[in-house]
Amino acid sequence: MPTHRIASIAALALGLMAAPAVAEETVKIGVNQPLTGPFAASGAYVVNGAKIAADEINAKGGVLGKKIQLVIEDNKSNPTEAAAVAEKLITSDKTPVMMGAWGSSLTLAVMPKLEEYEIPMLVETSSSGKITTSGNPFVFRISPPSALEAEMFAPMVEKLGIKKVDFLVINNDWGRGAAADFGKMLKGKGVEVGLTETMDAAAQDMSAQLAKIKGTDADTIMITAAVDQLTLLFKQMAATGVKKRVVTTGGSQNPDQIVAQAGSAAEKTMHLTTFLPWSPDKTPDPKATEYFLAEWKKRGYPFAGTTESFRGYDGVRTIAAAIEKAGSVEPKAIQKAFWDVELTGLNGPIKFVKSGPEGKESGQSKPGVYLIEISDGQIAEVKL
Amino acid sequence: MTRYLPPVVLVVLALLPLGLKDPYLLNALITGGIFTIGAISLNLLLGYTGQLSLGHIAFFGIGAYASALTALGFDVGLFGDVRVIHEGWHPFIGFLVAIVVSGFFGYVVGRLSFRVRGAYFVIVTICFAEVVRLVALNWIELTQGPLALTSIPQMKLGFPGLGELTLRTKVQNYYLMLGVATLAYLVVARLVHSRFGRAMRGLKENEQLAMSVGVNATKTLTVAATFSAAIAGAAGSLYAHYFRIIDPDVFLFAYTVTMVIMVVSGGKGALAGPVIGGLIFGTLPVALRPYMAPEAQWIVYGAVLILILFLMPRGIAPYVDDWFAARRARRAHGAAPAAKPQLEGQR
Amino acid sequence: MDQFLQHLVNAMVLGGAYALLGIGLTLIFGIMNVVNFTHGALYTFGAYAMYLASTALGMNFFLALPFAIVAGLALGALLELTLLRPLRGADIDTTMLVMIGAGIILQSGTLWIFGGVAKAIPSPFPDAPLQFAGVSISWLRLFVLLAAAALIALAYAMINGTRLGRAMRATFQDADTAALMGVNVRLIYTATFALGSSFAAAAGALLGPVYVVFPQMGDLAAVKAFAIVILGGLGSIAGATIGGFVLALAEEFGAGYVSSGYRDAMGFLIIIAVLLMKPTGLFARAERVG
Repeated sequence: MPTHRIASIAALALGLMAAPAVAEETVKIGVNQPLTGPFAASGAYVVNGAKIAADEINAKGGVLGKKIQLVIEDNKSNPTEAAAVAEKLITSDKTPVMMGAWGSSLTLAVMPKLEEYEIPMLVETSSSGKITTSGNPFVFRISPPSALEAEMFAPMVEKLGIKKVDFLVINNDWGRGAAADFGKMLKGKGVEVGLTETMDAAAQDMSAQLAKIKGTDADTIMITAAVDQLTLLFKQMAATGVKKRVVTTGGSQNPDQIVAQAGSAAEKTMHLTTFLPWSPDKTPDPKATEYFLAEWKKRGYPFAGTTESFRGYDGVRTIAAAIEKAGSVEPKAIQKAFWDVELTGLNGPIKFVKSGPEGKESGQSKPGVYLIEISDGQIAEVKL
Repeated sequence: MTRYLPPVVLVVLALLPLGLKDPYLLNALITGGIFTIGAISLNLLLGYTGQLSLGHIAFFGIGAYASALTALGFDVGLFGDVRVIHEGWHPFIGFLVAIVVSGFFGYVVGRLSFRVRGAYFVIVTICFAEVVRLVALNWIELTQGPLALTSIPQMKLGFPGLGELTLRTKVQNYYLMLGVATLAYLVVARLVHSRFGRAMRGLKENEQLAMSVGVNATKTLTVAATFSAAIAGAAGSLYAHYFRIIDPDVFLFAYTVTMVIMVVSGGKGALAGPVIGGLIFGTLPVALRPYMAPEAQWIVYGAVLILILFLMPRGIAPYVDDWFAARRARRAHGAAPAAKPQLEGQR
Repeated sequence: MDQFLQHLVNAMVLGGAYALLGIGLTLIFGIMNVVNFTHGALYTFGAYAMYLASTALGMNFFLALPFAIVAGLALGALLELTLLRPLRGADIDTTMLVMIGAGIILQSGTLWIFGGVAKAIPSPFPDAPLQFAGVSISWLRLFVLLAAAALIALAYAMINGTRLGRAMRATFQDADTAALMGVNVRLIYTATFALGSSFAAAAGALLGPVYVVFPQMGDLAAVKAFAIVILGGLGSIAGATIGGFVLALAEEFGAGYVSSGYRDAMGFLIIIAVLLMKPTGLFARAERVG
């Protein structure tokens, strides 16, 4: 490994060896997140949440008596890069377990690598159903798949008086999966489904899609996209004069960022989210939520990021619990130990149940899903 | 001396995996090697005919998709009730299909775009790559669009009497890459030393003059584009079966730029050019990784490209040649200056 | 009908910004014979200059816009003096490659400094749109259209009515003769490149507040600028103006009535069609600029 040697010589020369941490043995956790590209904002939040968890655990003595070391790599919001990053984390950094990869298409791209090298991965954000139904026993997911999200939303459909829905979704596994799962649920409840319009992940101008949607008789638009695109959409909706009920799905909305950036254009929009940082006392573990929010604030991150970053926080805590249960840093042992993890996450109990074809089941935890509304610039849970 | 250099380099490259066990470095070498094959093919157009094709990644990507889809199979509705259903075939057939399909696109694009020259030609080629990217992004039934084509089978090679080998390990894929790269190098070498190669260089030097002595410009350029695209398609096929996942971002302009940098820095119009450039820019990301973020690396690439264009516009290869020539000249005690022009003429 | 008018209004706004992008590129090519691959990066630069001015520097929106345009002018002049002036007389491929290198440096530099997370530029206009005849247009977009129209008019006036404009036209026709007639050709080149760059920066500064600002925003903008210029004919300012609006119309109606996914493909399909039928563009008049 000549590069490693060159690297350490260079580090010496630069005087970066001040801390003796290099010699200390650590437990490595690979973190595969989008830090550039269209999902950069969300990926950065998840990473910062993960760092809080790692620091908290390390302050209490780490796992198995060793400190946790996060190896963070940027997958550039691109599936091929995500697979390459996984390869790099496994073969070069030798991480026994990973967390990733934010988007569904990114996670799906990584999954064959998990089977190839037999390394478990905790999925913190992705919501496509395919992830836990394709028979990959190395996948453990703490975010809700869109079918679960739709199921939790079902009782609210009548109370909101929804009659006909148009979909506007991001053109990937996440968006298309959400449109399919919510569409199925809605049709089952006798609600009409109209248009399904898509937009590219990097699209900036959705006015053509919105002009089309403006002309239909649907009363509700269901949108699946990341926060940056949602902000643009709300602004453009206001500009095109689209006045319909809006419900967003996917839990990557960062409502506070929307309020800050879209202003009055975001008024009366509704969002399905999995975490309630606005009322910590209503979360399953108020003490942990308070600690997390305080730490987040202390580090100077924007409050808006918490609806994303808590996943990174819970993700690393779950991985640490699995390593502790496994009693070793062998990938095989950690994979087995995931099944025994029981933890109260910031949005509900984390416990994996089997999902997918028999003998090759993936793990799926069932978090809470809440509907919130932006009203007068304030965010509150919708009471139905 | 320069005559012996290519085989020596080949032997060194072939022995490399014996001493190199780090899968990460091997991975970087394979990736760099695959793009070097792309650069070798680009050199045929850029270096020998002087046509700056900046849509070259289109042929690479078409090869990747053609090969992957041949191996995976697909079920696509064309119009009305007409459906094309294809069951997956052997990946090696995918490799051959990739060469043919990319070559065909090279022919068509060549026929159409060589009607214009200079800036127009450059822009047409960029636009072609962009259109192909958008088709890959939106023809979801065929390409899975942004969801990416996943689980592409690994390359398999059949040997008569010995059975079949699935290339699972990195070392096996490294040798496959090296084999295809050598083949591509030899094809280009054969081509440029033929009569056809003289016609190409004639067009590059002076198109009017070449045409006046009977060189058919469009035909010559189209043949060059076809070969160039076919080789790029072969590289794309290797890419698809090695990474086992491709998405429409494979058509990004940045990859074309990578190949262009390899050719220009190594020396356009020199057989060794893209190989030298490929070795430098294939391994540079790995070497720079511990010190700088990817965006900082790209700043370095941009600066290196500009510096090379300013300081040695012909690239590195001609300087290596000159160095050997000068050494020969020193050995021959001044007898060489008379011999040198003759040598230039033969090349 | 309402939907049709809405698409038409959307296209007009977009067309204004596209025309700005195209004019900058065509000016540089027409006079200097340089295909400016930093055009996309300059577009991005304009947007970030606008962002910096209106956030970190606390400038008023209407002050930040000219600031961004002047910053683009300065960066353009710098690029010309350091990279293009020493390469005068080099072949067009070399300058293209040098410009690609410069574009890479600018874009990666932006990513390095500002990170990949998109930034929003605050707008001083009300969120509620202007409504008439079933069509809505936001005040911001209306402003973008008017500002673009004003800048285009300014470009025409400058090229046709000023001494600098006359010298630029003379250089376009024949650089050697212009030099003999006492035109400082080197100065004209620098001025042309700076001016073309400032147009790209203006387009970025105008569209930045409409969308969001991120380091790769210039990639697509650059390819679209190429499309516009090819459509209008390399070197023709009128062609670039019309080309900008034609492209916007094709995109908007293509997305509205054909498929939103192929929105960005429309421009390239147009280019390929144009080049197959009339390779020099629809309005090419190689003899003159303006």
